[in-house]
Amino acid sequence: MDDLSRRLEALLYISPRPVSAADLAAACDCGEDEVAAALEVLGREFTEARHGLVLREVGGGATFAVAEDCAEAVRRHTGLERPDDLTPALLETLSVVAYLEPVTRADVAEVRGVSSEWALSGLQERGLVEESGRADTPGSPILYATTERFLKLFGLRSRDELPPIEEFALAAADVEEIRSRLMDNAARRRS
Amino acid sequence: MRAEGTAAAPAVELDLDLDVFDGPFDLLVTLILRDEVDIWEVRVSHIIAEYVLRLADSGEFDLDATSQFVVLVAALLEMKSRLLLEDEIDDELEDLDPDEAARQLVGRLVRYGQFRNAAGALRERWAMHAGTLYRNVAPPAALLRRPEPLALLRPEALPAALAPLLRDPPAPDTSHLADLAVSLVRELRRLRSLLDDAGRFTFEAVAPHGRIERAVTFFALLELHASGEARLRQTRHFGEIEVTRCLRPALAT
Repeated sequence: MDDLSRRLEALLYISPRPVSAADLAAACDCGEDEVAAALEVLGREFTEARHGLVLREVGGGATFAVAEDCAEAVRRHTGLERPDDLTPALLETLSVVAYLEPVTRADVAEVRGVSSEWALSGLQERGLVEESGRADTPGSPILYATTERFLKLFGLRSRDELPPIEEFALAAADVEEIRSRLMDNAARRRS
Repeated sequence: MRAEGTAAAPAVELDLDLDVFDGPFDLLVTLILRDEVDIWEVRVSHIIAEYVLRLADSGEFDLDATSQFVVLVAALLEMKSRLLLEDEIDDELEDLDPDEAARQLVGRLVRYGQFRNAAGALRERWAMHAGTLYRNVAPPAALLRRPEPLALLRPEALPAALAPLLRDPPAPDTSHLADLAVSLVRELRRLRSLLDDAGRFTFEAVAPHGRIERAVTFFALLELHASGEARLRQTRHFGEIEVTRCLRPALAT
């Protein structure tokens, strides 16, 4: 490994959180492009086959994670457990926050058609969503946004890595089905 | 359907696993896509009956799931009642013809559907990544909230801790407060009779020794002055106060 890669390894070893390319470049007094190249070298070194650690780019920076085949021993030693799975309501609320953030409670309720206070506070308790200020609208409601922990637990480098929401549009046939059912019904009520 | 319908509306066969629905929209989309049903014909009472029967069958009571169900049904009811009553109660919707209402509902359902699907994609990512153990540093032990020593607490400790709270507190000790030996009314009466007898006197000559008693005497003098019964004269600050009787206004005539 080259010198810069070794220094990056040291920086990532000492940092409890993902470190951004800009911060790594500042610490090593070099350019971000050099950091990117050196991270690649480091990533090739730290792969499952060679080390107990792997290099991950997640949550806005680079960090070490435990290789999957070593996780069991680590869990046994630390008592860390895999976080409980999220209920459908929590996942749905989370997807609204992640795609529309920053959002108010009312925004979430508007999309889901049901009050989402319980789900939002559940997500806050799990550290996936946090308050991110107040909206500049009457009553200055609290705004919610996803956290770095959200990015980590979903393996995302940044929110931009989420697939565009348009990809999840209902199938055209389903939309047509809904439309014609509701329109038929409207016609019946009108007559 | 196990519950009996009484109204003329067509009985709708529902075979729904209600636990899987995230909200009324979700339920609605499924109803519309899967059954020959629209929201005006959904018998909410049937859904509830179905759910209650299933709860009874399972013999388990999951508070979380049940409260979610209640929220879902309440929202569904609200949505349905709004649609049924829009002409009478909702000014905003009054001008909305059924076509427009349907169009808006389609819009909302389609928008909602995107996020429901996105949530499905998030679930897959979660399954893949949530178990990853990242480089992490635990907060210093000193900053952690001290855990309660639950194992050390025995049930007997609870009444022992509560008992002192239930006992009446002791009456406060007021022995350091002097009892008042005088009252304003009594002092006024005394000064009036002095005035009637002597016509004049000085404050120093009639004032008792205690500080509070002297204060009461002073207030009584001010009262006599205010009512016009006595004239007060003091030639210098903190000097002797001379009190002279005046004819009472009522008696002056």
